[in-house]
Amino acid sequence: MKKITLAATALAAVAALALSGCSGGERGGDAGGASDAAGFAADSTIGVALPDKTSENWVLAGGLFEDGLEEAGFKGDVQYAPASNTVAEQQNQISAMVTNGAKVIVIGAKDGKQLGTQLQQAADAGVKIIAYDRLIENTENVDYYVAFDNFKVGQLQGQALLEGLEARSGHAAPWNIELFSGSPDDANSAVFFDGAMEVLQPKIDDGTLVVASGQTDIAQTATQGWEAENAQSRMDSILTSTYSSSDIDGVLSPNDNLARAIITSAKQAGKDISKITVTGQDSEVESVKSIMAGEQYSTINKDTTLLVEQTIKMIQQLQKGEEADVNDTEQYDNGVKVVPAYLLDPVIVTKENAAEAYANNPNLLEIVTAAQ
Amino acid sequence: MSTTANDPAAPKKGGLSDLRKVFGGGQSSLRQFGILGSLIVIILIFQIWTGGLTLSPTNLINVVNQYSYILILAIGMVMVIIMGHIDLSVGSVAAFTGIIVAKSMADWNLPWPWAILLGIAVGAAIGAWQGFWVAFIGVPAFIVTLAGMLIFRGGNQFIGQSTTTPVPQEFGIIGAGYLPELAVPLNFNVLTMILGVIGAGWIVWNEIRARRVQKKMGSEMAPVWVSIVKVVVLAGVILWAAWLFATGRPGTSFPISGIILVALVILYSFITNNTIFGRHIYAVGGNRIAATLSGVKDRRVDFFVMMNMSVLAAVAGMIYVARATASGPQDGNGWELDAIAAVFIGGAAVSGGIGTVIGSVIGGLVMAFLNNGLQLIGADADVVQIIKGLVLLFAVGVDVWSKSQGRPSILGIWGSRRKSRLEAQAPDEAPTVVPSSQSNLSSQPEDVTRR
Repeated sequence: MKKITLAATALAAVAALALSGCSGGERGGDAGGASDAAGFAADSTIGVALPDKTSENWVLAGGLFEDGLEEAGFKGDVQYAPASNTVAEQQNQISAMVTNGAKVIVIGAKDGKQLGTQLQQAADAGVKIIAYDRLIENTENVDYYVAFDNFKVGQLQGQALLEGLEARSGHAAPWNIELFSGSPDDANSAVFFDGAMEVLQPKIDDGTLVVASGQTDIAQTATQGWEAENAQSRMDSILTSTYSSSDIDGVLSPNDNLARAIITSAKQAGKDISKITVTGQDSEVESVKSIMAGEQYSTINKDTTLLVEQTIKMIQQLQKGEEADVNDTEQYDNGVKVVPAYLLDPVIVTKENAAEAYANNPNLLEIVTAAQ
Repeated sequence: MSTTANDPAAPKKGGLSDLRKVFGGGQSSLRQFGILGSLIVIILIFQIWTGGLTLSPTNLINVVNQYSYILILAIGMVMVIIMGHIDLSVGSVAAFTGIIVAKSMADWNLPWPWAILLGIAVGAAIGAWQGFWVAFIGVPAFIVTLAGMLIFRGGNQFIGQSTTTPVPQEFGIIGAGYLPELAVPLNFNVLTMILGVIGAGWIVWNEIRARRVQKKMGSEMAPVWVSIVKVVVLAGVILWAAWLFATGRPGTSFPISGIILVALVILYSFITNNTIFGRHIYAVGGNRIAATLSGVKDRRVDFFVMMNMSVLAAVAGMIYVARATASGPQDGNGWELDAIAAVFIGGAAVSGGIGTVIGSVIGGLVMAFLNNGLQLIGADADVVQIIKGLVLLFAVGVDVWSKSQGRPSILGIWGSRRKSRLEAQAPDEAPTVVPSSQSNLSSQPEDVTRR
């Protein structure tokens, strides 16, 4: 009996090896790295991994990618990371795209520092990686970065704050302002803040602007997780501690969501919001309404349509075997290398130029025209 | 302590019912047989649907890398659940350990092997803390670990200041490393194949040994052809899998995280099946009062099971950090639910006392291949979640339903009519205590069932 068992096992082992012999073909073959220069088939799969489905902006981008890639003749594979275990699931989605034979993967990273292993896998398989909107850090395997110029966003916010102070406060300098920045785990937060401070710092130094709370450091101004309630409670305490008898003239807010929280806080503290300048970013519907109602002063329009168009254009260049266009090869150091970037210019939007700025966006245009 | 005499699963001799013995006898291994069947069906469906990608070497390596840490959590979780507890803190504990390990290497320049030891120590300390509250204060584990979920998630963000901390490349080996290539002119990874051969050899040896023991004890033996089928199928699957892993992209082979997983599965299967401590877990989980009266120190078992869970959570956290190349504030979110789902799909009972390590790992693999397959065909994340939820409900629902019908499993229907009379006397959900695949049938006194 023992002999029979052994013999049968041996037979089975041989059979299993023989049967599966055909599936071992991946090894020894060229991993794809050598075919870089030659481009790839025009109907290849292109992966698009986006971080979440809860923000308007990403949903819009996903839709544009699906349509745009199809129009360009590619097979688009657009996936959003789910709400739970988000980072790990995005890693899995990227691995699945590599397995599926995607030639380029566009990544809007949930956490740009946790994708090293997957991108190594992609590089080994000869897949090109484009970081979309958020830079991917600590890996050499990012080929391109495409985004709006976030430093410029900060600069524009700083300029808008100065303009708004002049127009709204009803008095001459010095003006009292407060500073808010984004979440510390988002690499963009510091870029926005630095851009704005490049404009504001000289004015603070010469006494035109006064940060009455004294909180000017990015760690003090940070808003954990970009959560509106964190910004609101910080604003509440600043108003209580610093502005119970004096007036606040302006607030630098990195985005619209926080701007609205700051405005709510100021209103609750009995401040006249029409005299306070609050900046923003993202052109969220509620904020555009707020701007048209004369509350929030400005926002930034980053036209997602243009960003997606640019990304697809880069994919097409890669498909032909060319280098993709870049216009910045210095600014975006991800810790391992400087990632070649194509940066688009953001546009500042106030009540005055809203109709013009949203000409491409029927939704927002409707709000603007309804308010005028 | 042994299988109940009235076990309705007691097989008739010969014919189709022998097939069940391929996977041992007994209620719980039959259940595993059902889950293993679903796993095979799921893999085959996706293998066809994805045009062969599911069982490609690259994808298999991905699946092991992606889910090894969840499966490691499931190993600890099944023991917690057998005890009638639950641990909601594993994700947070994993994240907390991850950030400490990452910081220790980044800020104190701790060499990575020491960092791993530190991580395990942190896990043990957390486990002792939670075990203390559960075992000696008597706070329900649900509450203790709900608190732990908050405490250690907060701890992770406090220490890491909610930012992502990268880890050195060498640390990556436990999460993204592979068995090295030997300098031999062979077109596959030799070490992986050696492991496969060892695995297959172990299956053969184990079966021979089991038959010898059965013969010596004069217990009922499965026919020789059953043994041969069992050995051939299992060894064949192992060798085939090893071959697939050995022939992936050059530089890749069987992942280190997979080896850690396999080692832990073997270790914990042994502990739960063959040690006094393991038997105590089943005894206390099945009937705490009876076990205590028989002299089992139930609090001590509670303590060590909770502590062990946190140690495994620490291991899982470190593997994930190694794979992600950094520890982030989002690590471990929702892992507890994946681990708990794996355990219940793998046949554990909510009431405690029932469940096996290997079953939970198979349950976890069902979820893993489902998730992976759906991602490969490009299903939306929301659809994936809905399907996973339905599978969990369906898997446990079928089990509960079949139990309420008095059938241990679908295969049980093949048994004789006579059984229904026995069922009338059988307690419905007798805590089946012996899950071991080889000892189960042999320990069953044959004369009782033929009475």
